[in-house]
Amino acid sequence: MPRKHLLIILVLVISASLLLFGCGSDQTRDDQNAGVASEEQGQVDVIRLEGGDWGYPSPYAHYPRGPGGFKMALIFDGLLERGEKGLIPWLAEKYEIKDNGKQYLFTIRDGVKWHDGKPFTAEDVKFTFEYASKHPMVWSDIGSDDIEKVESVGDRQVLVTVSEPNASMLYNLGQTRIIPKHIWENVDHPKEFTGPEAVTGTGPYRLTDYNKEHGTYRFEAFGDFWGPVQKVKVIEFIPVSEPVLAFEKGEIDLTGVSPDVLPRFQNNPAYKVVQSPGFWGYRLLFNMGDYPVLRHKELRQAISYAIDAQELINKVERGAAVPGSAGILPPDHVMYNSNVKQYNLNLKKAKDLLARLGYDRLDEKGICQNKDGKKLSFTLSVPDRAVRMAEVLQEQLAKAGIEIKVQSADTKTHDARVRNNEYQLAVLGHGGWGNDPDYLRERFGGLFKGGISPSASGLQGYNNQELNDLLEKQCLEMDEQKRKQLIFKIQEILAEDVPEIPLYYTTGYSVYRPDKYDGWMFMFDHHSLTHSKLSYLERD
Amino acid sequence: MNKKRVTRLAEYFFTVWVIVTLNFLLPRAMPGDPFLYLSSDVGEEVIFSEEQRQYYLAYYGLDRPVGGQYLSYMSELLRGNLGHSLYYNEPVSHIILRRLAWTFFLVIAAVILSTFIGTVLGSISAWYREKWLDKFLFFNLIIMSEIPAFLLGLVLLFSFAAGLGLFPLSGAMTHFAGYENWWEKVLDILHHAFLPVIALTIARTGGMYLLSRNSVITVLEKDYLRTARAKGLSEKRVIFRHVLRNAMLPIVTRVFLSLGSLVGGAILVENVFAYPGLGHLMREAVMVRDYPLIQGIFLVVTICVLLANFIADFIYGKLDPRVNDYSETYGG
Repeated sequence: MPRKHLLIILVLVISASLLLFGCGSDQTRDDQNAGVASEEQGQVDVIRLEGGDWGYPSPYAHYPRGPGGFKMALIFDGLLERGEKGLIPWLAEKYEIKDNGKQYLFTIRDGVKWHDGKPFTAEDVKFTFEYASKHPMVWSDIGSDDIEKVESVGDRQVLVTVSEPNASMLYNLGQTRIIPKHIWENVDHPKEFTGPEAVTGTGPYRLTDYNKEHGTYRFEAFGDFWGPVQKVKVIEFIPVSEPVLAFEKGEIDLTGVSPDVLPRFQNNPAYKVVQSPGFWGYRLLFNMGDYPVLRHKELRQAISYAIDAQELINKVERGAAVPGSAGILPPDHVMYNSNVKQYNLNLKKAKDLLARLGYDRLDEKGICQNKDGKKLSFTLSVPDRAVRMAEVLQEQLAKAGIEIKVQSADTKTHDARVRNNEYQLAVLGHGGWGNDPDYLRERFGGLFKGGISPSASGLQGYNNQELNDLLEKQCLEMDEQKRKQLIFKIQEILAEDVPEIPLYYTTGYSVYRPDKYDGWMFMFDHHSLTHSKLSYLERD
Repeated sequence: MNKKRVTRLAEYFFTVWVIVTLNFLLPRAMPGDPFLYLSSDVGEEVIFSEEQRQYYLAYYGLDRPVGGQYLSYMSELLRGNLGHSLYYNEPVSHIILRRLAWTFFLVIAAVILSTFIGTVLGSISAWYREKWLDKFLFFNLIIMSEIPAFLLGLVLLFSFAAGLGLFPLSGAMTHFAGYENWWEKVLDILHHAFLPVIALTIARTGGMYLLSRNSVITVLEKDYLRTARAKGLSEKRVIFRHVLRNAMLPIVTRVFLSLGSLVGGAILVENVFAYPGLGHLMREAVMVRDYPLIQGIFLVVTICVLLANFIADFIYGKLDPRVNDYSETYGG
């Protein structure tokens, strides 16, 4: 009798759970493409890539991570797109910067259609900018008060007046994903708007299937796309446990590989290995506001001289990174200045600089101190994934007589510490180093909007008037070449002052089978082959 | 009797309330907030401007005092609303319900298999106590029970899925495949679930084996067994009717009480096989400080554990009449 009860309960629970996922995973599928390889040169029917749930690919509902945003960008176009060398005209055929950067006149392309067949117009662009000012998109390139007004000039032109001229505004306006007015004009809560019509764009791909708990997406080429031919007809994102295994088994067509497994794919004509540009990096921050000793340029320079970036790269990244440039911008950046002062490992110079500050004697443990017995000892806060790096730094700085105590925490806790200035030295790792160099102003200039400056209150305890002036000047300079000169000068000052130390920029490896598909490319400021929309399209 | 039930119920409600309150407070006590992004994952680019952060904090009411947030959370909860996930951008109940089914499926399959295998092997071991078979089983199962489930999962993944290609590498079903009929779908799901279930089962069998071996040995030493044998009952009847029945009690309790910890093991195994259960979700929810989702998951897990306790109480009572007799005579 009791055993019967038990059995009944178990059977009930099992059938309930079977029922539940029976419902949960009903898939709306389009017809399966036949697996026949296309005859045309370089075209492919289906590309499969590592999936995972990155949210519903509308500009408001995807998760704030790269893989979410770039899936969304397959569906939604910007006025400009990121090409191999820089911005390229996209939904806007051409643009004109007027009134020293106060106004932008975009001429939009003719004959563009939304996925539902309705024509794309200048009104949609105007609507998007107004809507996005009111409801920031997940990839919010424009803030609520960046745009003063938007007017449509005739059917095919849009005139945007910005509140303040800024050289990075073209990028921000160009990157904003244009959404159809006829669908979004009555949507009050864009984040919760996740119906099928929420993914109606003008882009080269339509979403034909999305399953949240399995993390699968299926994109199909949009037949009426205005632009370059889609060389990949269908893109499928599927769940993967071990990406390298899945790649070797042919389940996915491209994967990132760590340097350890690289030899399996090198020197084999069946595979092509590509190294990514270094746009993801680690910075060593100094809390100069609360710890006056860190305001001494000589101390920061000494720390720079004591750090052996190459050793860090070898030990922590197995060689897959490039050393940080003291001018902040990474070598792959379009405005990188290769002639700035660099701090290669030099313990003698480090010790000389410390002696100049009065730290000319060592205590019994080998730590530098001055005549008052003040020691050079700091706490280094790191996120827990960078503990190994912190240990190497600890060893390296010990050789120069600087003591480091490591304090690690999970990423969010660490971020909160940095934001609230609750640190002495800190390591912060993030992407976006390839972006418009105006980020230098946000990091080191007088004006802060948060986000990439180390803390909400900005960079305290450091002030260089010449630098501030240049930072303000560069963002008003609309001439690309003249602006580059200013950015070069800024990098020189930063390299001399060392307000922070970029440790290194990671350069991961990707591997794919060129026989299957060989159209992959990097955007000029980004590190991922699969994130580039142009990777899937015909290019000259 | 009635009064006792009411007290019992009140106890359960009190426990739930305490846990719900803790679930609410703990995530908020962690440093950092859901919209603070200074670091990003390796190779990732996340930039939230301060303006955007403030917008979202206000949008989700996280800029209000904690007391007010608590009151609205409780009143929503009483209406059955678990809230809206900040990161996954979907009602929490939808997210959990769809994933919970997969986790339950793995866990229950593993519980049934491991309990069955563990009990059978344990009984055999106890029966042949101190003989070579007992020693052999004891040694091997002890070793197996010490291997963490996720490690087993990795070994199985590399050998049977990657090496021999007998099983799929990941996921819970074939995607974009199009099934001919429901039977094909069920087979596909079982095919995908095989390795995760085996990993969990192996990891658990050792514990069940030890418990049942111990339990059976204790029963075997009881006087009533000598009586049963002396009555001339067949061996089979002695084992199943007298030994196992009495040895079942601790096993049943253990099965239900360990459901919670098994969910924990399932989480790691799910991560190994990229299985769409609660596992990955829970980890991610904590990492991104998705308060409503953390609350929701913890609440559901809590309720499951309490429910398991409740069922254990109930079944124990049925299996062992002494429990109810006792409480009816002296309890209340």
